[in-house]
Amino acid sequence: MNTPTPHLSVRGLSAGYGRARVLFDIDLTIEPGTIACVMGRNGVGKTTLLNTITGLITPTTGTITHNGTDITHLAPHHRTRRGIAYAPQGHDTFAPLTVAENLHVTHQATRRGGPELIDAALARFPRLQPLLHRKAALLSGGQAQQLAIARALVTNPSLLVLDEPTEGIQPNIVAEIEAAITDTAAQGITILLVEQYLDVALRLADTVTVIDAGRIIHTGPRTELTHESAHALMAI
Amino acid sequence: MDALINQLPTGLAIGAVLLLAALGLNFTFGQMGVINMAHGELIMIGAYTAYVLHAWIGLNPAYSLLIALPVAFTITGTLGWLLELSVIRHFYGRPLDTLLLTFGIGMILQQGARDTFGAPNVDVPAPAWLTGGITLTGGIRIHYSRLFILALAIACVIAIAYHLNRSRHGRQMRAVIHNRDLAAISGINTRKVDATTFFIGSGLAGIAGVALTLIGPTGPTLGTNYIVDAFLVVVVGGLGQLRGTVLAAFTLGILNATVEAWADASLAKLIVFAAIIAFLQARPQGLFTVKTRALT
Repeated sequence: MNTPTPHLSVRGLSAGYGRARVLFDIDLTIEPGTIACVMGRNGVGKTTLLNTITGLITPTTGTITHNGTDITHLAPHHRTRRGIAYAPQGHDTFAPLTVAENLHVTHQATRRGGPELIDAALARFPRLQPLLHRKAALLSGGQAQQLAIARALVTNPSLLVLDEPTEGIQPNIVAEIEAAITDTAAQGITILLVEQYLDVALRLADTVTVIDAGRIIHTGPRTELTHESAHALMAI
Repeated sequence: MDALINQLPTGLAIGAVLLLAALGLNFTFGQMGVINMAHGELIMIGAYTAYVLHAWIGLNPAYSLLIALPVAFTITGTLGWLLELSVIRHFYGRPLDTLLLTFGIGMILQQGARDTFGAPNVDVPAPAWLTGGITLTGGIRIHYSRLFILALAIACVIAIAYHLNRSRHGRQMRAVIHNRDLAAISGINTRKVDATTFFIGSGLAGIAGVALTLIGPTGPTLGTNYIVDAFLVVVVGGLGQLRGTVLAAFTLGILNATVEAWADASLAKLIVFAAIIAFLQARPQGLFTVKTRALT
């Protein structure tokens, strides 16, 4: 039997901030080319999990393996350069830089492909095209979120990590972001998504993991969940 | 109004010196938020670099000044880089500790200069092509050396603006300063960017030091005379805002010159400081800030 290597594997992960422990003994496996959705109420540790996977937080125990390589102690910029792209919560962009500079600075720093990556990201989010020379500080929430995802895409990722990409975004742009996620997954890019909106999560996800109080309380294929059972899990 | 016009050339000259001293701080303090009290001593080392090239190595004064500029930039830049690497890096987010530490390092550097060059001031002769000056209508005389400093300051500002907006490091620097974590997950090696930023900021102190040899004697405490004013310029201009630093330097220079025309130097300083305090009460963020859509 030949088991394929998971794209991302998290084993026995605990993490926190100073003495405050947030995550306890997390196990998570993401298969290549799938969309893994992590759900849970506010403050249960979803963002901490993403920050640990992308290297912004060092775990207290446990290991993180990406494509078979242990990356637990790799600096965040090295993780990005090996294909883990992250669009953090709150449509974070480099506010004093223009839209074009936001894309270029990331593209140049990661060095994972030619200028066609920038063209592709702009083709994905055509709303950004006329705003290229505008400072990111002056974008609306929806535009900034699109820039945040575009910024992640220009790194030519193999794993795209998205933290609540639809939070506080107007509905028509939510649809565009959803379409971008689906298209990205269709290209074979693995996606780790934290999503609060149950509808969006259940439409996109291949697997669903639910966290409560820093521990995984459910994990399994999307098909195992109905709208009601998912709702019940979230309400714990 | 007449007084202002008469004092304008002097004010611009003072402003240019302030600007040169503050440009380096615009990087290390304005951009990175590091209170490097040893910045004044880096200026002093820049001045002594010009002295060493002339008096020890014996370069012809006609061109030793021009050679001193890049040499001083490299020497003080490297010193600043080493300082960041060995000390300051370990104290990010601890401004008070950084202030005390770099103050101590400044003292060590001052004593080092005293041991090496002696306590008395030394002179670096200006090149022949910078002696003399032009006389404006109204009998105001502007020395060529002052004009040279003004031109040097303008050249530095243009070079910095180009670097910040057009170069790869400039963009990375602005990204790291805005959001360190976001920069890291964008593939930027933030430590390396910090080190380079510190190199450039400290190197600019060296250039300021070389320029200062044109307007006065060089001594171990040269930098301390300028460091407070330089910090003020960066604060008044708005932290990390290049155009703010430029505007603040020339405004303070002209204000200084105008007030000094009818009050003595100490009283003039007092009045300028009072004006700065009043200004910062009304506008604590300085002349310029980054515009955002956020309400804060």
